[in-house]
Amino acid sequence: MTLADEEFSEWKTVEGPGRSRAKLIRSLVVLAVIFVALGFVLFKGATNSLEYFLTVQQANAARAKLGNQSFRMEGVVVPGSVDPTPAGVDFTIRFNHSEDRVTEIGNPPQLFQPSIPVVIQGHFQGNVFVSSLIEVKHSSNYVAEHPARIKNAGGTQG
Amino acid sequence: MSTNAKLKRGVGVAALVTIALTFWLGLVVTPPAEVMGNLVRMLYIHPPMAWIAYLAYGITTAASLLYLWKRTRRREWDLIAAASAEAGVFFTGLTILTGSIWGRPAWGVWWTWDALLTATAVLFLLYLGYLALRQVPMSETKRGVRSAIAALVAFIDVPIVHESVYWWKTLHQTPSVLNPSMNVEVHGSMAWTLLLGFVAFTLAYVWMVWTRFETSRRQAQLADLEVENAIRERLSAEEVRI
Repeated sequence: MTLADEEFSEWKTVEGPGRSRAKLIRSLVVLAVIFVALGFVLFKGATNSLEYFLTVQQANAARAKLGNQSFRMEGVVVPGSVDPTPAGVDFTIRFNHSEDRVTEIGNPPQLFQPSIPVVIQGHFQGNVFVSSLIEVKHSSNYVAEHPARIKNAGGTQG
Repeated sequence: MSTNAKLKRGVGVAALVTIALTFWLGLVVTPPAEVMGNLVRMLYIHPPMAWIAYLAYGITTAASLLYLWKRTRRREWDLIAAASAEAGVFFTGLTILTGSIWGRPAWGVWWTWDALLTATAVLFLLYLGYLALRQVPMSETKRGVRSAIAALVAFIDVPIVHESVYWWKTLHQTPSVLNPSMNVEVHGSMAWTLLLGFVAFTLAYVWMVWTRFETSRRQAQLADLEVENAIRERLSAEEVRI
C-alpha cells in the first residue's frame, strides 16, 4: 500500500447508488416473488371472479349444458323450506320465480336463515342441487335490531 | 417545540382519542343490527380502513404526477408518494384482515375469489411491488421517476376495486356509504359511529404520512450532508498535498 493509498483509506466513503450488489439481488428477488403472487391472484381471479355465480334462473336454463359440473348458484332461501338433516340442511332456493331444492352437506354459516340471499357451491344431481358450501350474501343496509319490528311481509312479529 | 411539531402531535392525539371513541361507541353504545347481530360492529372499522387505502393511493398518485412533471419536480413529492403508499399498503392489509375476520361468520368463508376481493388482493400486491421497486438501488431521480410511473399504473386498480361490485357478480355487498346514489344505508347511531370511524382513521393516516415523510426527508438530507462532507474532506486533503 502506498502512502497515498493509506491516506485515501482514512477518507469517508459514502455508499453510492447501485454499489450494493447484495441489495440489488435482494430487491429483485422480492420483486420476483411479488410478481409470481400477482400472477397467481390474477389467474384465480380470471377463473373465478368473472362469472362468480349463476342465478337459479340462469342455472336452470343451462341445466343440460352444466350436467354434473360444479358451479356457484345464487338465490334466496325460501321461508318454510329449511329442513335440518343429520348431514347438514335441506332447503329451497328461489330467484325470479325459478326454484331449486338444495341438499347441503356440512354446517351452514351463522347467518343462514329463511329469506336470506345465499350463494351455494355444488352440482345438480337429478332434480336436487347438492351443495358443499353455503355463502351468505348479506345486504349493505344496516338497521338496528328491534324486537317488535315486523320481519316478514306476511305480518308475523317477533 | 415548533408549531409544526405541535400541530402534528395534535393530529396524533386527536387520532388516538377518536379511534378510542369509535371503539367505545362501536363495541358498547351502538345496538346490534338486524340479521347481522353483533357482527355489525366490524362495520365501524372495515369500511374506514378501505377508504383510507383509496385516499392513500390517491395522494400517492397526485404526488407522483407532481414529481413526474418537470416544472413541479421536487424530492418532497417523491417522499410524500412513498409515505402515503406505505400507509396505503398497511391499511389495505388491515382491510383484507378485518374483512376476512368479518367474512368467516357473516359469509361462512374466510376468503373467496370474487371480483372485489381479488381486485383488492391485486391492489395490495401492486403497491407492495411499488414499495419493493423503491428498494432497488439506483439514482434518486431514476428511482423517483420509475416509482412514480409504477404508482400511476397501480392506481388503475383503485376504481376497478370500487366498481367491481357493479361490474361483476360478487359475494361482497355494494358500498353502504360511497355508493353512486350517495345514500347512506346505515341508520341511527350506527351511522354516526361509522362517520367517526372515517374521521378517526383519516387522522391516523395524516399523522402516519406526516411522520414518515419527515423521517424520510431527514434521512435524505443526512445522506446529502454525508456526500458533501466527504467531498469537502477530499478537496481540503488535496489542497494540503498541493
